[in-house]
Amino acid sequence: MNFGAIELDDETRSFWAATRAFFDEHVTEEVHAEERDTGTGYNEKFHRALGGRGWIVPRWSIEEGGAALDFVRARIVEIELDRAGPPVIVSQTTPLPALAVRMFGDEQLKSEVMPGIGTGEVNICLGYTEPDCGSDLAGVKTRAVRDGDEWVINGQKMFTTGAQVCHYTLLLTRTDPDLPKHKGLTVFLVPLDLPGIEIRPIGTVGGEKTNFVHYDDVRVPDRFRLGGVNDGWTVLSAPLAAEHGMGKVPDELAPGSGRVSIRQMRRLLGTVLRWLEGQVDDAGRPRLDDPITRERLAQVATELENAVVAPGPMARIYCAEALGRAASDLLELVGPAGLLPHGADGVVEDGWVEYMFRFVPGTTIYGGSTEVHRNLVAEKYLGLPRSTPRG
Amino acid sequence: MSTEEYEAFILRRNDYSLSEEQEALRDAFRLFFEKHCSSELVRESEPVGFDAALWAQIVDLRPVAMGVPLDHDGDGAGLVELALVAEEAGRRMAPIPLIEGMVAARLLAKLADHGVAAAVGLLASVLEGSIITLAVGGGAGRPGRQLVPNGAIARTVIGLHGDRLVLATSDTPPPHVENLACAPLAWWDLADGDTLLSGPTALELFAAAQDEWRLLTAAALVGVGQTALDLAAQYAQDRFAFGVPIGSFQAMAHPLADVLMGVECARRLTWKAAWFLDFEPEHVRALVGMAYYSAAEAAERAGSVGIHTQGGFGFTLESDEQLLYRRAKGWPLVAGDRRAELQRIADRVLPVLGTPAASGGASQ
Repeated sequence: MNFGAIELDDETRSFWAATRAFFDEHVTEEVHAEERDTGTGYNEKFHRALGGRGWIVPRWSIEEGGAALDFVRARIVEIELDRAGPPVIVSQTTPLPALAVRMFGDEQLKSEVMPGIGTGEVNICLGYTEPDCGSDLAGVKTRAVRDGDEWVINGQKMFTTGAQVCHYTLLLTRTDPDLPKHKGLTVFLVPLDLPGIEIRPIGTVGGEKTNFVHYDDVRVPDRFRLGGVNDGWTVLSAPLAAEHGMGKVPDELAPGSGRVSIRQMRRLLGTVLRWLEGQVDDAGRPRLDDPITRERLAQVATELENAVVAPGPMARIYCAEALGRAASDLLELVGPAGLLPHGADGVVEDGWVEYMFRFVPGTTIYGGSTEVHRNLVAEKYLGLPRSTPRG
Repeated sequence: MSTEEYEAFILRRNDYSLSEEQEALRDAFRLFFEKHCSSELVRESEPVGFDAALWAQIVDLRPVAMGVPLDHDGDGAGLVELALVAEEAGRRMAPIPLIEGMVAARLLAKLADHGVAAAVGLLASVLEGSIITLAVGGGAGRPGRQLVPNGAIARTVIGLHGDRLVLATSDTPPPHVENLACAPLAWWDLADGDTLLSGPTALELFAAAQDEWRLLTAAALVGVGQTALDLAAQYAQDRFAFGVPIGSFQAMAHPLADVLMGVECARRLTWKAAWFLDFEPEHVRALVGMAYYSAAEAAERAGSVGIHTQGGFGFTLESDEQLLYRRAKGWPLVAGDRRAELQRIADRVLPVLGTPAASGGASQ
């Protein structure tokens, strides 16, 4: 058992300072403004700057476009990135498919795709979810049918976030509907400029713009196939395993499954506290002296620390739900002016609390809903029987 | 907070693993309680909640001496180790005055260091197995009588009266008062107690003892919650309804998953708080209160979900879940309303809220 501080040498401290300076310089108000307007989760200028440092894939070798950072430095980049809060959805979806290309692509495909990953010139989004299947991912219906050296793809994908700014999508298709559902799947790296692909935006209450992607007789050359025909499930899981194979990330540096929620919760609490410091109640007393206000802040702070210590798949559930509770109660604490969005007359803390209330419902859904994770916890840790049928 | 301070907090180790010695210690006490503290024994100890034979047996393992410094004839272990033992006692609802004994012994050692002569002899008798307890209640420091944990089996009580740290004694303990948890509670009035120490140091030492009591009580509650969960999860596998094990219904399974989450988080918070008290007490901030509050919530929920999972059976006196449910509420409530703990948490975290320092360190 050890929770001691990790000692940093002078060189690492300078690296930290330089990292912070980088994000201060590049995550400008202009970047935030563009994200508010577009909800893309991507800023080209910032993304290229990140690529210039090799920080899209910070732990990859320098030859592969990374920065060959050790665990501590990679964590420092992550900490400063979290602190600056730039739009990063696309820089987060890109590395995993790139690993799949590295593992399963032929030489030609690798030479087309890989050099642009680290620099930020090639972006990849995830084409998994469909209108009729989300948490039950192996239920995908998008069909790929072989025709000579090509595959003909028909179907539709939903929540393909970043498709409008990406060059490829990692597409999960059904190639044999007669096999058991996990066995008849094949993965392709599909260039998004092929004829027959139509991208249509979907707005979300959290402000993020995601997409429908329609595939209508899209002809994809076989060389874009990753892994064996009907072996798609392996292709999806292999990059995750390979990433872990880069050496075991020490616990304190591993990105927990609740990391995003923890960061948002800490920021929200800090924001509301900063605002409360100047506030008085109707009788002119400082609001921070009010026991009810203090109790509610302490409740959120306590749940935040529970979120920080929550292990494994429990963190995925706890952190997302604790963030939801925090966003609700802290908005209540702010009162009516908390309802005002960015730019409104009398807005509180730039509308951050209002924004977070809209943001939080998504956190218990994406990446597998909290119910799916509860099933996992009940089966794996409590030995309870499966509650859902498996095909 | 300066950049340097922030950096020192955010990049911390996050290692919850136990050393071989810690595992051996935990296993030894787990074995002891499994062998000597059945639920039948717990039932037989009711309503007083004390088993003198069990107390006599455990003295051989020196659990009370464990956390006392070596130069006071203790074994020099830290709160992390005491928390491991307290959790094992909690798992079996051991009807012995263990936690108060552990904390009082450590307090007596500190008092001896502050030149309180009476503490030396008392500590020696406590290390030999005599029962001492602490008036940890919400009434601490206020005039009038208060409910004291183990007050019905101890002849010696340490507590606050005003700004005096006092030692109250009685040739025979006051009568036991029946209570929800079947704990050995009794009313004590500390007004006539002998002063051990007074002033700010006395208050500080007693506050530290109260923190240690909260921490070890949190650990015991984690044990209570774990047992309630284990029993419920087993029942959910064994009991069939509509042709299938009831654990295959999400309406049964998901609340149990939530209980597990609560218990796991409370255990980790408790360990983390114990580690900070042992190694970086200046950074512990509100972790003890958070662990205590979270463990009390988790244990009560485990008991209530445990009863509900067992359905009608859970509500009968036959079920151990009801034993756990009552203790989950009663053990912490003797120190007062747990929501009042949130005010103490606020005192300690508001100055640094929203930064990693709020927890005395956080890695994420």
